[in-house]
Amino acid sequence: MAGRAMWKGFIHFGETSVPVKLHTAVKENRVQFHLLHKRDQVRLHQQMICAYEKVPVPPEEQVKGFEMEEGRFILVDPTELEQTEPESSRMIEVHEFVKTAQIDPIFLDRAYYLEPDITFKEYNTLAGLLEEMAVDGICTWTMRKRSYLGALQSSGKTLRLNTLRYVDEVIPVTSLELQKFSLSEKELNIGSELINHLTESFRPEKFTNEHQQRLQALIDKKARGEKIAILRPRRKKSTAPDKLLEALEASLRKVA
Amino acid sequence: MAVTGIWTGTISFSLVAIPVQLVKAVRPGRVSFRLLHSKDYSPLARRMLCPEEEVLVPPDEIIRGYEIGPDKYILVTDEELESVSPERSRTIEILEFIDLSEVEPVYFDQPYYLVPAKGGEKAYRLLVEVMRRTNKAGLAKFVLREREYLVAVKSVGEALALITLHYREEILSEEDLEPAQGELEAMEKSRLKKSIENMMADFNPEHYADQRRDRIMDLLKKKAKEQGQVEAPRVEEEEGEGPADLIAALEESMRQVKKSR
Repeated sequence: MAGRAMWKGFIHFGETSVPVKLHTAVKENRVQFHLLHKRDQVRLHQQMICAYEKVPVPPEEQVKGFEMEEGRFILVDPTELEQTEPESSRMIEVHEFVKTAQIDPIFLDRAYYLEPDITFKEYNTLAGLLEEMAVDGICTWTMRKRSYLGALQSSGKTLRLNTLRYVDEVIPVTSLELQKFSLSEKELNIGSELINHLTESFRPEKFTNEHQQRLQALIDKKARGEKIAILRPRRKKSTAPDKLLEALEASLRKVA
Repeated sequence: MAVTGIWTGTISFSLVAIPVQLVKAVRPGRVSFRLLHSKDYSPLARRMLCPEEEVLVPPDEIIRGYEIGPDKYILVTDEELESVSPERSRTIEILEFIDLSEVEPVYFDQPYYLVPAKGGEKAYRLLVEVMRRTNKAGLAKFVLREREYLVAVKSVGEALALITLHYREEILSEEDLEPAQGELEAMEKSRLKKSIENMMADFNPEHYADQRRDRIMDLLKKKAKEQGQVEAPRVEEEEGEGPADLIAALEESMRQVKKSR
């Protein structure tokens, strides 16, 4: 079952208006740990301390600053920031449509399911068209005093809304300063062939979180007072640059 | 830019193993504020406090606990955690390659980059290039701290990006949301299609600025002119933050707590 409806709005572009309800699409279920003090096993709290005086700072002595240059700040108070909050609105405004394949998944943040509200014919037609044309709508909306950028998508039957990261939130690849390395055509060909041999279709049901089950088993064991055998993590031996071709050829022999 | 690694290990496919570091691909946008102490304008740092003894607890005195009852915990050490899946704690093993367009967007979670460590540059470059040529992404599982991640590794420009994926069981079903059947009349449908076609563009994330941030920047510029800046006192020596892993883990867990609220 989808999560509860958390917001209502309408998709708008041109003369089209499609009322929808937003639902969460993902629910994570994990073993939760708390951080404790080793000595007395008391659960720790997070505390803000002054980096200079090294003392805890209560909320009433905390102010917000924007760092202009190192160590120099402009102070901003909350009421000033409130004035920059977007006006509340129910409109998910589509600005343009782009080919789905052009959106790098690096930009995808949170996914929501959209449920038709009141009417469904426009909804169905729009879902069908987006799928058929393989396009997403790039849209903006305001929800809970925050403005969002998102991609309106179709799974064929239903519409989805995926929030997108703003460009200044994604670290550009160029800042990684990666070196260029020349490769032989032979290495590239064998590498490509190897990848094609190892390609499968994506079947997410094949992958379960086995680690989570083992982690739960470890906790149960400890609860019974059993001793845990410590296993050292192993690291694979790196392939030496002059052995790369050899490793690729051996890999290919294994699968071809 | 110096990159700080979140994790160091090996990425492998078939018989090829490449030493790499995992680094962040996402940062706070250009408008992010620091919390300061109103008394001396010193930035604040996040520390863990023992409410019982009222002392700040350094990372090496912190341990994870699994709650089994009120104030009752099973303690789990880092070594025990790593023992749960030791083979996956240091190796991102690509199990198979896939066509990334088969992955529904709802699966994508957090993006990171992988950068080559010394000696791994050539094999790294090869993996980037062959995934680009074949338009494939690697599917792998690996364990980072308390969690095992299903991840997609793909080429982005000259780099490898690693994107964590949700497990199938974490994706909620949308069957109960499916609308009744029935579409618009053919005329209206073709009109809708026309308006989509008229609005087609290339995806260019540079185009979409956060208007709120622009407004905040305007406010900041105005304030800088009117009232100037304050200066934080110099801190002689940066307090040791302890193992980077643990601090990152703390921040991560706080972020998740905030998100789920």
